[in-house]
Amino acid sequence: MTHSIPLTLDINGSPHTLSVEPRVTLLDALREQLQLTGTKKGCDQGQCGACTVLVDGRRVLSCLTLAVQAEGCEITTIEGIAGENGDLHPVQAAFLEHDAFQCGYCTPGQILSAVACIREGHAGSDAEIREYMSGNLCRCGAYNTIVGAVRQAAEASR
Amino acid sequence: MTLIEPRKHGDASDGSLGSRLSRLDGRRKITGSATYALEQPVENLVHAVLVQSTIASGRVVSVDKAAAEALPGVLMVLTPDKVFNMMVASDWFGNRVENVPYLPLPAEVNYYGQAVAAVIAETFEQARDAARLVKVHYEETPAVTVIDQGGSGTVTAPMTVEWGDAQAAFDTADITIEAEYRTPREYHVPIEPHGLIASWQDDQLTIWEPSQWTHGMARTYAEWFEIPFENVRIISPFIGGGFGSKGGAYFYGAVAALAARELARPVKLAVTRSQGFTAYGGRASTRQTLKLGASADGVLQAVIHRGANETSTYADFHEGTGAATPIMYAVNNFSSQQGLIKVNTVTPGALRAPGKNPSAYGIECAIDELSYAVGIDPLEIRLRNYADHDYQSGKPWSTRKLREALLAGAERFGWSNRSAAPRSMRDGRTLIGWGIGCGTFPNLTNSSDAMIRILSDGSVEVESAGIDMGQGTYTIVAQTAADALGVSVDRVDVKLGDSVSAGAPVAGGSMLAGSITGAVHKAAQAAREELIGLALNAPNSPFSTSGANTLVIENGRIKTSREDSPSMSIGELMAMLGREKLEVKRDTLPEGTTREEQQKAFTHMSKVRGPTAGEFSIHSWGAHFIEVRVDEDFGTVRVSRIVSAFDCGRLYNPKLAESQLRGGIIMGIGQALLEEGLVDARNGRVVNNNLGDYLVPTNADVPPIEILSVGEPDFEASVLGGKGVGEVGIVGVAPAIANAVFHATGKRVRDLPITLEKLI
Amino acid sequence: MKNFEFSRATSLSDASLRTQEAGVLLMAGGTSLVDLAKCGVTEPDMVVDITRLGGLDQIEVSERGATLGALSRMAAVADHAGIKAEFPAIAQSLSLAASQQLRNMATIAGNLMQRTRCAYFRDPGAFPACNKRQPGSGCSALGGVTRNHAVLGTSRECIASYPGDLAVALLAFDATIETTDRRIPIGEFFLEPGETPHLETLLRPGEIITAIVVPASAAAHRSTYLKVRDRQSYEFAAASAAVGLQLEDDGRTIRDLRVALGGVATVPWRASRVEQALIGQVLDEGTVRQASLLAVEGAVAHGDNHYKIDLVPRVVTRAILTLGGLA
Repeated sequence: MTHSIPLTLDINGSPHTLSVEPRVTLLDALREQLQLTGTKKGCDQGQCGACTVLVDGRRVLSCLTLAVQAEGCEITTIEGIAGENGDLHPVQAAFLEHDAFQCGYCTPGQILSAVACIREGHAGSDAEIREYMSGNLCRCGAYNTIVGAVRQAAEASR
Repeated sequence: MTLIEPRKHGDASDGSLGSRLSRLDGRRKITGSATYALEQPVENLVHAVLVQSTIASGRVVSVDKAAAEALPGVLMVLTPDKVFNMMVASDWFGNRVENVPYLPLPAEVNYYGQAVAAVIAETFEQARDAARLVKVHYEETPAVTVIDQGGSGTVTAPMTVEWGDAQAAFDTADITIEAEYRTPREYHVPIEPHGLIASWQDDQLTIWEPSQWTHGMARTYAEWFEIPFENVRIISPFIGGGFGSKGGAYFYGAVAALAARELARPVKLAVTRSQGFTAYGGRASTRQTLKLGASADGVLQAVIHRGANETSTYADFHEGTGAATPIMYAVNNFSSQQGLIKVNTVTPGALRAPGKNPSAYGIECAIDELSYAVGIDPLEIRLRNYADHDYQSGKPWSTRKLREALLAGAERFGWSNRSAAPRSMRDGRTLIGWGIGCGTFPNLTNSSDAMIRILSDGSVEVESAGIDMGQGTYTIVAQTAADALGVSVDRVDVKLGDSVSAGAPVAGGSMLAGSITGAVHKAAQAAREELIGLALNAPNSPFSTSGANTLVIENGRIKTSREDSPSMSIGELMAMLGREKLEVKRDTLPEGTTREEQQKAFTHMSKVRGPTAGEFSIHSWGAHFIEVRVDEDFGTVRVSRIVSAFDCGRLYNPKLAESQLRGGIIMGIGQALLEEGLVDARNGRVVNNNLGDYLVPTNADVPPIEILSVGEPDFEASVLGGKGVGEVGIVGVAPAIANAVFHATGKRVRDLPITLEKLI
Repeated sequence: MKNFEFSRATSLSDASLRTQEAGVLLMAGGTSLVDLAKCGVTEPDMVVDITRLGGLDQIEVSERGATLGALSRMAAVADHAGIKAEFPAIAQSLSLAASQQLRNMATIAGNLMQRTRCAYFRDPGAFPACNKRQPGSGCSALGGVTRNHAVLGTSRECIASYPGDLAVALLAFDATIETTDRRIPIGEFFLEPGETPHLETLLRPGEIITAIVVPASAAAHRSTYLKVRDRQSYEFAAASAAVGLQLEDDGRTIRDLRVALGGVATVPWRASRVEQALIGQVLDEGTVRQASLLAVEGAVAHGDNHYKIDLVPRVVTRAILTLGGLA
C-alpha cells in the first residue's frame, strides 16, 4: 500500500515537481527532496515553530502539513523572501541589525512568522509582538532582539 | 599617495575587537543558506531511526524484527545480538580501558529510553514506520527511577572542601538558617535536534554532526573504529544550539557509522525530539542542604553544605552543588560535601554552567534567607560579606568586579526604592517582588592552534576546528585577525567547525573564545610580521629606499609610519611576489610541545587549566536584579524586569556578548519557573519528553533584559583580556527569581521550578 | 506513521459516504490528525481532505447570533470583528489557544474534535494500556504523572482532560453543532468517559460537522475567557473559565450568568451550580467567591492535580468579578 503520488508544489514562485507518499510532510518534502533546507525541523510535532512557512500568505507549520495538502497553494520559504537582486527583506535586515538570533536554527521560522505577524496587523506593540511571536521558540534566548527587529520592520512598513 | 582615514576604534561602525559588529555568519542564517549537519546534500543517502527501550532496567531477551524487515524500503535492523568490532573510546580526560568491545546497542538496559535497536531504510518515513514495528522482549529487573528512591548516596571524597571549623562556628553563631534546596532534571533542548550523517570512503569516515568539539568527537570515532585520527573528519560549520549537549560523540553516532559501513551507503540518523530526552543526559536533579551561621549584624561565621545529585547506574557524573558555594562570600569556617545517587537514567551531562548553576541556586537563596533572618537588605548582606580574595584557594582574585556589578545593577534597577517587607509591594491582586542573585563561572583555559592564510588578492582566511553555535566565534575571530593584521574585517573570511583544521578546545566551559582568539591573534601577528618582512625585502620594493626598518599595515595597506610614505596593498605585495597564498600557523601551546601532546591538548580535556592553576583565582561574575509579578490567586509568576551586571573582563564584541548573556538569563527564567523533567516513577519514563510539555520560555515570558558590563580587561584570564561569557549568564538567575518570589509572596519555595501549585 | 491514501472529497456527501468505512478519516486542518499519526495513536488507511469544499468557511454574525462555518480557521474567527464584539469569550478562547501558525491551520470543527493531551494516551509504544485507545486495556495515567489530568467528569476508566478552549466558550453560550445529519446542542455533544472512554462525541461514522451556531445573548456580549497556565503563551490551560454576565437594570443584580470550565474536566464543563447560585443575587466579591466553590463540587484529585480543585474557584471568581468591574 506504500505508494508515491506525483505532485507539483508552487514554492517561492516556481513550480517544483516531486513524487511523494501521502504521509510525507511538507517539511520533509522541502528538506529531503527539494533541498530547500532553510526550513528547519525542530520538534516535528507542532511545538516549536522552526518549520514555519507561508502558505497562501499565512504562516503555518510545515511539520503538520502534508505535502499533498499544499498542492495548488503558494508556498513561501525563507529562501524566497529576499529580493531577486539579493536585497534582504526588511525583516531579515532588521534581524541582522538587532542580532535577533544566535545559533540561527529557529531563525528562518522566526523571520517568516515575523513577516506574517506584521502583515496580520499583530505587531502594534511590544506586548502584542511578544504574544504573536510566541509560537516560535528560541532556545538561545534572542527574544528581546526579535521583538526589537519586528518592531523596527513593522514601523518601516507603515 | 593614498590618504588613509584614521580607524575608529570601539564603535559600531568599524569591525575592530571590542566593537558592536553584526554577526558575520548572520546573512547565511537569515537567508536559509547556512547548512546544518543533517542538511548536507549527500548522494545515495539512507535513513536510520532508533528504537528505545520501554523498561528502566533489565535486558533485551530477543528482538522480533520480521514485521519491520518486511516493510518496503527497509534495509537493515540493528539489534543487540549483532556484534561489531568496535572498541570503547577514552573518556574526556584521555583515560581508556584497552581492548574492551564497545556495544552501542547493548542488551543490558540501564534506563527507560535507552536505544535497543535501529532501523535503516531508504526513506525517513519507511524507517520511522518500521521502527514502530520492532518488538523487543525484555527480562525486567527492579529499578530506581527517581532520586528520592536512591537513598542518601555516596559521598565523593575528592569533592569535599573544608577549612576552619564550620560545625563549631555554626553551633556558636548568633543567627543560623538551614534549608534544603532541590532542582529537577533539566534538559538542553536545543532547537536543532541531535543527529548526524555518516559516510565511509574506504577507511575514511566523514561525519556531518553538530559538534561543540570537532577534535574530541573525531578522536572518539577514531577510537571506536580503531582507525587513525586523521581518517575521521567531523564537519560542523553551523550548530543549532548545544548548551553542553553537543560536546561529545554519543552511541547513536556509532550506530549511524556502523550502519553506513555495513550498507556501504551514507546514513542519516536524526534523533527525534522525544528521543532527545534520553539519547543523552540533561542536567542531573540535585538536592543540597545549606546551613549558614552569622553574627547578629549579618557577618558570616560558617557555611555547611551537603549536596548530592543523581547519576546513572553505569557511570558517575558530578553536578557539583558545592561548586560556587566556597567562593561567593568571605567566611572563615567552611565545609562542603557532594554525594552521588544512582538512578536508572541516562548518564546526566553538562548543561550550561554545570555545577555552578545549582550551586549558586543554593547559596544565593540561603544568603537571601539569612538577610531576612538578620533583618538587613539582601544587597547589604552581600556587600557586608564580600570576599576580597578567594577563601578556598587563598589566592587573590585576578579581577573581581562583583561589588561594582552589585552597585551598578542596584542603581540601574532602582533597588533603593524597594520596600523591605515581604508582600509589601502590589498592584491590585498582583504581588510584586524584587530579588537579587549573584553568579560566577570559573575561567578555564586551554590552548588553540590557528591558521592564517593571506590570499593573492590580499584577503585573509582564518581556519580553526573551533566552532560557532551562536556564541559569535566567526565574528570575534575575524575581528581579532583584522585587528592584528591591520586589515578591514570584511576582508577576512573565517572557516570553522572542521576537524581537519587547526586544533581548538571544546566550545564548553566558556573557554573557547579566550583560547581561539589568543591563537588567532598570535598567528595574525606573525603573518603581519612576515608580510612586512616580505615587503621590505622584496625586489623592487617601494620601501627599499625609504630607509625604514619596519612597516605598518593599516586598512590593508602596507606603509611606513611617515605621512608621505609610499604604500601598497597586501594584494599588490602578493602580486609583486607572485605568491598564490601565504600560510602562517601558530598555537598557544607551551614551547617545545610534542606532536603527541599537541594532539592530546585538542582531543582531550586533560590539558585544561582550572581557575586557580596559576597565582590568581580567575572567574567571571554577575549580579541579577529581577522583578516578578505573582498573581495572588493563581500563583502564576511572571518576570517583569531584569537588570544584570557582569564582569566578564573585556568583551570582544558587546553586541554578541549581550545576546549570549541574555540567552543565559532566559534559560534561567525557564529553570526557575518552567523546566522540569517529569518522571513516571513506575517505569522511569520522562513523560513530558516534548516541547509542548517540557516548557521552555516563549517570547511572551521574557521581559526586556538590560545588560551592564562592569568588567575590565583581565590578562591573567586570556591573551586578549576576556573572561568567559557563555555560562555565567544563567548562574544566579533562578535564585534571584526565587528570592523575588519570596519578597512578593512571603513564601519560600525551595524546589524548582516555582510552579503555580507551590504558591496557591 | 504508516502510509495511507489521500483523496479530496468532491462534496460533503462524498466525504460522508467515504468516512463511514473503517480506517478512513476526515481531514481538515490536519494539525491533530498528522500529529496523532506521528504518535502512532491514529493509523488511517485513507484520509479524505475536505478543506477544498466551498462554502464551509463562512463566518456570519447577526442580531440573532453567529454562524461559524466548520472550516473557518481558528485565526479567522479570533480576528473577526463581529465575533470580537458580540462574543469576546469566543474570540479570546481562540487567540489564547496554540500559536498563530496552528490557528491559521486548524479549523474550528477540527478544534472541537481535538483529542486529549494525556501523555499516556499519546504514547502507545510506551503505554499499551489506554481505555481510550484500546477499550478494556486499562488506564496508565492512574498512578502516573497526573498534573494535567482532569478532576471533573472522570471515571475509573479514564482521567484524561479535554484540552480545548473554544468548546468551553461555546458551551457557556449554548452553541449548537450542525452536522450533515442533525443539530446537536453542544452540552450533549461531548461524552464523559464513564465506562466507554473511547467514545468521545455523539458523532456517528460518516457524520460531519458543517457549522456551529451560537445564539446572541447579553451574557455572550459581556463575556471573557480567562486562561491560567504555567507559561504565558503557547500552552494548554491548567484551568480556564469562559464566563458571561448580564446584570439587571439596577446594575448590581445578576440576571444571567454563564460559566464553563476548561483544562480541568474530561469534557468541556458547564458549572451550572455556580450559575444557579448566583443568578438573582447581588454581585459582590464575597458572594461570588462562595458560589465559585460550587464549580468543583464532586471533583476528584488524582495525586499531582489536586491544585486544580483549589485553582478553579479562583479562576471563576476572577472572571466574574472582572466582568462585573470588581476586579
